[in-house]
Amino acid sequence: MRLCRAISIGCAVLLAAVATAAAAAAPTPPRATITAKHVSVTLLIPPQQLFPGESFTAGLEFQMEPGWHIYWINAGDSGEPPTVQWNLPAGITAGSMEFPPPQRLPLGPLMDFGYENQVVFPVAMHVTADFHPALPQTRIAAHLNWLVCREVCIPGKGDLSVSRTSLRAAPALAVTDAAAKAVVARYESLLPKPLPAGDTAHFRSTPQGFLLDVETGVRDRAAQFFPLDQTVIANAAPQPAKPLPNGIQLALTKDENLQSAPQELNGLIELPDGAAYFIHATRGALQQSAGIAGSAGHLAGILGFAFLGGMILNLMPCVFPVLFIKALALVQSSRQERRHLRAHGWIYTLGILISFWAIVAVLLSLRAAGRELGWGFQFQSPLFLALVAMLFFFLGLALAGQFDLGLSLTSAGGSLAQRHGLAGSFFTGVLAMVVATPCTAPFMGAAVGYALAHSAGVSLAVFTALALGLAAPYLLLAYFPGWARVLPRPGRWMEILKQAISVPIFGTAIWLVWVFGQVAGMTALGFLLVAFLLLAIAGWFLGHWPGRRVPSVVAALIVAGAVAVPVWAVRSFGLPPSSDAAEIAQLIQHGKLAAANVWQPFTPSLLAQARAQGRPVFVDFTASWCLSCQVNERLILDNAAVEQGFRETGVALLRADWTDQNPVITQTLAALGRSGVPTYAIYPADPSAPAQVLPEVLTSGIVLHALNSLPKPDRQSAAVARPISQ
Amino acid sequence: MAHSRRYFAGFAVLLACTLWAFAVRVGTAAPDFTAMDSHGRSETLSQYRGHFVVLEWTNNGCPFTRKHYESGNMQALQRRWTRRGVIWLTILSSAPGRQGYMTATEENAYLAREHAAPTAAILDPTGVLGRLYDAKTTPDMVVIDPDGKVIYEGAIDDHATTDPADIPHSKNYVSEALSEAMSGEAVAVSYTRSYGCSVKYSGAE
Repeated sequence: MRLCRAISIGCAVLLAAVATAAAAAAPTPPRATITAKHVSVTLLIPPQQLFPGESFTAGLEFQMEPGWHIYWINAGDSGEPPTVQWNLPAGITAGSMEFPPPQRLPLGPLMDFGYENQVVFPVAMHVTADFHPALPQTRIAAHLNWLVCREVCIPGKGDLSVSRTSLRAAPALAVTDAAAKAVVARYESLLPKPLPAGDTAHFRSTPQGFLLDVETGVRDRAAQFFPLDQTVIANAAPQPAKPLPNGIQLALTKDENLQSAPQELNGLIELPDGAAYFIHATRGALQQSAGIAGSAGHLAGILGFAFLGGMILNLMPCVFPVLFIKALALVQSSRQERRHLRAHGWIYTLGILISFWAIVAVLLSLRAAGRELGWGFQFQSPLFLALVAMLFFFLGLALAGQFDLGLSLTSAGGSLAQRHGLAGSFFTGVLAMVVATPCTAPFMGAAVGYALAHSAGVSLAVFTALALGLAAPYLLLAYFPGWARVLPRPGRWMEILKQAISVPIFGTAIWLVWVFGQVAGMTALGFLLVAFLLLAIAGWFLGHWPGRRVPSVVAALIVAGAVAVPVWAVRSFGLPPSSDAAEIAQLIQHGKLAAANVWQPFTPSLLAQARAQGRPVFVDFTASWCLSCQVNERLILDNAAVEQGFRETGVALLRADWTDQNPVITQTLAALGRSGVPTYAIYPADPSAPAQVLPEVLTSGIVLHALNSLPKPDRQSAAVARPISQ
Repeated sequence: MAHSRRYFAGFAVLLACTLWAFAVRVGTAAPDFTAMDSHGRSETLSQYRGHFVVLEWTNNGCPFTRKHYESGNMQALQRRWTRRGVIWLTILSSAPGRQGYMTATEENAYLAREHAAPTAAILDPTGVLGRLYDAKTTPDMVVIDPDGKVIYEGAIDDHATTDPADIPHSKNYVSEALSEAMSGEAVAVSYTRSYGCSVKYSGAE
């Protein structure tokens, strides 16, 4: 009996142990996705069957919440890349985790390299002939570690596994998860490639760091270098680029603590169209300026365009009033000697040239100092806008007849007003240049973009051609006063003409005031109008007692006070740039924007997201001070036919507002070969396809033609131009 | 002409300014500074001339820093080296409102709770000291010799992870630099890329 009991107890214990062991050994259900803090990670294994001899690309997909990022293999100044350890059955091998080209992630004075929103790391996998599956299902497992950061960093880890049918031989019909395969294939296509055969990369040391020469086979305008070695380059430093005939040259700043020059520079070069190449640059001689001879003809062409652009600039709404004034002065002086007329013409030209050179000098200095500015930046300062608006208002008052500034209608100050003749012409030139800058005329756009990407000498040459073009019409009239004789003789009509000219002058003042209101806000605008009132009062003093000393002094003091008003107002009430994002989001939420086309504020990640969703993107680079932008938007982009075109092609609409000199937008413009607004670009859905830049003078036909040349989307996405889903 | 000269001069000055961005280089003199510590005392680097000085950038929320504090590694390092006469300065360069920012009281409480033993904890909420030394991450370590020369700058050790289990088999660059310098040898590894979370300077996003 005792023996029986002992045996039964023993059996029970054994059974319990076996049961527990069996329970412990039961496989946990495989999880292909982990959702962790701010990130979800998925193991993508596209083929549904595993058999010997099979090769496929697996993917590790990371989806981050907006604003959160993970890191590239060289994370940059801070952070660490994700890592994976595979748990594979016998017969299956995995290659290393491949990293798609990263983005630069600036963090104050630091620079990191990584990914936002979504990234898939392709991993090449191979099923060898040794794969002898014992069970009908095979499990592929991976243990991952990652760091996801925004303002703070959250480390994470997890285990992923996926089960697939195991076969002893290739099946007749291989089943694949098409969606997973497509995602992995897309990121695999983005992976950096080696430089095309025969192309090389060299570098040379300079006092600041290195000049990296990369031959890509085509002339490239912009590129970014991402180092694979961590302590060689100063990550946050900008990388000024210089196009070469068949590649590009980047100036890299070295890490302060670099002890000895490296033998090789290893890294990636990313081009604006998304192509990326591995670089293993060796020390070598720089590409010789054989390139310069080839590009000389190119340069001449660009200079010609710049000259033409300058001439056409005379017709732009912001310059024409000034030319009006000069024509008026010409009319009054048509009886003077030829020499005087020619001198006037040359001095006017000199005024324009010197002002252009001064601006270019400042622009180049600032560019050298690393700030990214394009053409037109003076009007981005609200105080500058206010002062020019006040200047034009004051001139308008003079022209309308409130007081008289003498022959030099165009002088900008009381003392200058007395110096008619040569000085007056000089300052007319300066004024013409000042007002011309934000109006990027059709020819000017490309010329400016070209010049800013080149050396200082080339920039100066291009801007000189531009300045000469701007001055040419007046100079022509000064040289052939015979043509001025065609103008009517002076008479009472001159007074009427003078008063009539005040109309476009006031119009320009209104435009500037409107832009100022956009940039600085309504309160500051109110104070600017107060300053206008003070100017009118000063004008009354000048008009009531012309030429008398005391009233002139009083007027000057009032003008000084008037100038102080916007200075104080901008400082106290100037608005930070308003973001439309919140407004748009609210309107969409309330269903107010459901049926209309929605323009979302531009960010590079939104652009990438839309393209990843398979939608082409139309980007409108605009600014509130750019008159041609406003005209194009109201007349072309908002008209029914074009809106219909946007809806039908499912194009995502992004608006890049450059009113406040946003550096990200400046960089995007540079990548398109432009440095000013308006600029219109269509980015096809295929990330490797280059963006198409439309001309500055838009017509509905141009836009619709460009939209029609895009690949057609599927029906259901064409219902309405939806905002990009996040 | 006058404009060209002005242009070149301006260009040169601006270029010079950008080159002078960051001021710390291994092998050169450590920049002097004056800063307030968590007890309200004023600390200057020059007052410690004649001692080895270690600067440790910290952020108590960063997982990389916590790896060293929760395991007791940092405290052990501080104790070991301050006992041998090294001045250990913990520096908090996080801006107010950002991760790692602490007031003097909070910092003193934290030090007591963690049993940390630095010579002083310097509060640098404006980030001036961090930027002066080009501190990029937490932790970021700088070792200065008795003559005021920087002999090591960079990571605390050679395992850039958040896992405390890696500490026992990590090579600690700070200890190596101090041992080598104290025995009169040249420091073998004087510069490495520091690892950690970015220093939370004001205005950085």
